[in-house]
Amino acid sequence: MDNEKRKELIGLMKTRLTRPMRYYLDLCTRCGLCYDTCHVFYGIPKKEYSPVGRAEVVRRIFKKYLRPSGKLFPFWGDSKEIDDHSMDELLDAAFSCTACRRCMVHCPFAIDTPFLLGIAKSLLIGNESAPDELSILADGAVEKGKSIDEFKDGFREVIKDLEKEVAVKLGGVPPEGLIPMDKAGADILFVGLSGAHSIVHPAVILNSAGANWTLSWFEAVNFGAFLGDPRKMDFIANRIINEAKALGVKEVVIVECGTAYRIPKYLMGPQPFKVSSIVEVIHRFLSEGKIKLNEKTITDPVTYHDPCQLGRNGGVYEEPREILSALAADFRDMTPNRKYNWCCGGGGGLVALDNEEFRIKSGKAKYDQIVATGAKIVVSACENCIFQLDTIKAGYSMDVEMKSLTELVAENLA
Amino acid sequence: MAEDIKADITMDLKGMKCPLPVVKVSQQVKKMRVGQVLVAETTDPGAHADFPAWAKTSGNEIVSTVREGDVSKFFIKKLK
Repeated sequence: MDNEKRKELIGLMKTRLTRPMRYYLDLCTRCGLCYDTCHVFYGIPKKEYSPVGRAEVVRRIFKKYLRPSGKLFPFWGDSKEIDDHSMDELLDAAFSCTACRRCMVHCPFAIDTPFLLGIAKSLLIGNESAPDELSILADGAVEKGKSIDEFKDGFREVIKDLEKEVAVKLGGVPPEGLIPMDKAGADILFVGLSGAHSIVHPAVILNSAGANWTLSWFEAVNFGAFLGDPRKMDFIANRIINEAKALGVKEVVIVECGTAYRIPKYLMGPQPFKVSSIVEVIHRFLSEGKIKLNEKTITDPVTYHDPCQLGRNGGVYEEPREILSALAADFRDMTPNRKYNWCCGGGGGLVALDNEEFRIKSGKAKYDQIVATGAKIVVSACENCIFQLDTIKAGYSMDVEMKSLTELVAENLA
Repeated sequence: MAEDIKADITMDLKGMKCPLPVVKVSQQVKKMRVGQVLVAETTDPGAHADFPAWAKTSGNEIVSTVREGDVSKFFIKKLK
């Protein structure tokens, strides 16, 4: 790395450091309580895979350039220069963390390590050494936002075929209009993912409830957030926000995707519409009697995996459990659960990276949790999590089925 | 049109979960030589926007798109 690049990265770090970040960097006492709270450390017990180990990589660079002791006595203590080696350490730190924030709820000072790792991600972007996969996905999502009119015809044509699938699932009703698009004045803008399953099952439920809804042109997931690029994150989220405003909807309903829910719900400021997860909407439809379930029809033991961004970081805990308790004759919660649930190891964009062996190892805590319940069906409400749960299933040769909550509801409507 | 295009590699991406189709295509195209054509078969409706958007940002070209039932085939030519 040449001096010019180093200077550029130091400048970048200074612009990205917020007061809470400085507070976190100064406050950590290295008590070590966070070690055992991280699912990665549970599966791979090395210091670099502990929350404090990851934060230390950032802290050493911070100390080198922004603390007098690091500047004046670099040989004393543990300050570290920005160079190729430290960039490798930052890459490993930032993209071995799923941003689940389980460490934060156990830390006596509530230090938000994933937030601190935002500095690492910024430096990696500045050094052009962020993971290619995430850059490609984020750039594609931005381009889609800029050129959506070019892509509408192809998308609309496939959606017409999906309407036929929804019609069959609804008992042979006429398919026309079962997946409305561009419907101004709709109450709900539903935002799915790329896959047909992420649209068909919610469409069955929304139509069964008689909802006045319309489908978004965009996918809910936000790879700008996973990449750690705030400008791309905002642009990708604003595609949906602007669409919702233009249509005048009252509510934006997000498919089973934790990060896709958390960003518009908590990180994009006040909006003229409500943001809900499809899980909350299903629960509401059931409470209002708009849909009914074939109750207790699932006889195999069922457990629920709390997606970190929907649960711990989103506050949606009870709705999925109440839905599952209605569907399943034998619902068993994992221990620990809700706020203290173990991350599955797939968040933070990690499922997009070529790291299956790492994810199997870091999924050991989740594997142990599932086995302890004796459940035969594991349900979750996040596509990332279900993807990772399938990886854990294959990696540990588990005899369980991984299911989406929305799919389970759509299959069991009365 | 599509029947005139010689495919060098075919990838079955049907039913894959988000975000694998674009990632897999991108990784495969990197391994190919300039001028080679990849056929990506998918059932994702979102691919009709995701693949063209990816092609624009990565400087590659979707030379043809064919639908056969619920499967869409994207003929992707590596340009650089």
